[in-house]
Amino acid sequence: MLLFAAGCKIDNYPAPDAQLYGTFLDAETNEPVEQDIIRGSTIEYIEHGYTSQTKQVMIVKNDGTYRNNLIFANQYTITPVRGNFVPTEPQEVTVAGETKLDFKVQPYIRLKDAKIEKSGSKVIATFKIQQTVINNVRKIGLYAHPEPSVGEPMRTVLSEMEINGAADPNKVYQLEIDIPSNSNNLKTGNQYFFRVGAVIDAPESKFNYAKAVRLAL
Amino acid sequence: MKFFSFLILLPFLSFSCHGSDDVKQPVDPKPIEEVKYDETGVLFKSYKGLVMAGYQGWFTAEGDGAGRGWHHYQKGGKFEPGSTSIDFWPDVTDYPKTYKTSFKYKNGEAAPIYSPYDEESVDLHFKWMKEHGIDGVYMQRFVSEVKGESGKKHFNKVLANALKASKKYGRAISVMYDLSGSTSADMDFIAKDWEELQSTFKLFDNKENPQYLRHNGRPLLAIWGVGFNDGRKYTISDIQKLVEKVKGPTKKASIMLGVPYYWRSLGKDTENSTLLHTVVKSADVVMPWAVGRYNASTYTGVAGPNLPADIAWCKANNVDYAPLVFPGFSWGNLKNDKSLYNEIPRGKGDFLWQQIAGAKLSGAEALYVAMFDEVDEGTAIFKCKREGELPENADGKFVGIEADLKTDHYLWLTGQGAKWFHGEAGFSAKKPERPN
Repeated sequence: MLLFAAGCKIDNYPAPDAQLYGTFLDAETNEPVEQDIIRGSTIEYIEHGYTSQTKQVMIVKNDGTYRNNLIFANQYTITPVRGNFVPTEPQEVTVAGETKLDFKVQPYIRLKDAKIEKSGSKVIATFKIQQTVINNVRKIGLYAHPEPSVGEPMRTVLSEMEINGAADPNKVYQLEIDIPSNSNNLKTGNQYFFRVGAVIDAPESKFNYAKAVRLAL
Repeated sequence: MKFFSFLILLPFLSFSCHGSDDVKQPVDPKPIEEVKYDETGVLFKSYKGLVMAGYQGWFTAEGDGAGRGWHHYQKGGKFEPGSTSIDFWPDVTDYPKTYKTSFKYKNGEAAPIYSPYDEESVDLHFKWMKEHGIDGVYMQRFVSEVKGESGKKHFNKVLANALKASKKYGRAISVMYDLSGSTSADMDFIAKDWEELQSTFKLFDNKENPQYLRHNGRPLLAIWGVGFNDGRKYTISDIQKLVEKVKGPTKKASIMLGVPYYWRSLGKDTENSTLLHTVVKSADVVMPWAVGRYNASTYTGVAGPNLPADIAWCKANNVDYAPLVFPGFSWGNLKNDKSLYNEIPRGKGDFLWQQIAGAKLSGAEALYVAMFDEVDEGTAIFKCKREGELPENADGKFVGIEADLKTDHYLWLTGQGAKWFHGEAGFSAKKPERPN
């Protein structure tokens, strides 16, 4: 009985009642930096006041936003890691109530002038690539999925091209998906989401993307 | 009460008795005014836009007057085939003064060497810098050496030679303390030695030394070796105090700090202490040590994300950034290990240009080239003998510049990098071709 009572006491903390949210923004263009929900950039955060320094993790939505509605109001050390941007510094943040924290980052690659259109029996994507670091661009890809969170890790159909070199910023890259030959996954009359991406050759780097486009086939 | 306030005002009264009797308001003690230097005629007002190399100047030859034997050429007290610490052999064709050694070429001819103790040799080095457009050098001052009388005499002589030559050829010059082997107790020595150098050589005199490098309006002093986790006998906190002392309340000098490569993330070669970041923020320029941290095939993976992240950190914290580039690395003789000959190959300059371009394309504004004359570790960019024309070295060997290049190829290529950093057009990641 005594033990039981003591056990109750330990659990008598207030519930997490703060919210932390924000957006990954391109430090140069101030536009959101597109991400992947699965195997995408992550945010590590360490709550202060505990000796364990346990790292907790948040994931980021495709549009570059994140939100945690169940976080304890406290001091945190927050670091975006393993992302599609140049590594950033940890930040000391006070989370209380509704707390907004945007991350200004330098995306490894910017996909510019992206167009994805249905043309006859094909979906054709054209875009330019601007890399912001000296690393090689490893590959580019066009991905398709019924859900808007389409990307390299979440696709039913893909068309990729190996680059393994420096990208020419003036070149228009083109990728195609043939609809009839992917009829199992791309059914005429249905809507699908398409997104173009490119990945830099850097340790733990993730894909950079243009915005997803919805097409009715 | 009145009596006491009178007492407090006394010191002000004594200053203000020239006609003013307005002493009723107590005056705050005057803030210490930061020193302002006359920059008239000063040749280099900022490190930004410059490509400068490190200058070891620690070699001596028997008979040069330094009385230090074959310092940094020899090994185990001897400088003879099978016993040397250098991998590259300086090409001394152009030197007016050389010293015969017991090393011989294949044809039996003796292979001579130079000493920076000689004014004419250092003069020649600065002449090369001018010819190739390299902006200047950081004169290494090894604390562990200048603590002794003969070391101090040597490095002061080399510095005197270099000050004269840099003035003559209009090349930038700055002093860099290398703290390797130092202890906490040496910090006072460094501060004192630095004061002494300023007065001995009139380093801050814009007429005497217009070529002494300035940065942020003050003469620049470099301190190398803070934050390394290799078991040094001084701490980051020691350097913090040293920086405070050198700058002083009047902010007498600007400071460049030489830090380990992973200084920002506090990992690998770096002590895991955020005090390092505090000290870096108190400095004016930061220069991470990159020698041995990558080779041609790992460069982009390592430096690709690191350079822009370093630069972003520095911008956010108002510190300038000077990445290091080096032509290659070889220390087989120094380490007595034949597998270490040409450990990081030069690739006819591909490796050096890869780093110059990488730094420039990542947004760097200045470069530190390691080194001008370092033949122990084979990072020298100055004229060295080529493969096929090297002296013999018992069962060991020497490493040469690629046989089809000119012996000044790395001076030339560094000069091309300097042109790019000066803002000249026509440079890219593609290595420039040298016209014949």
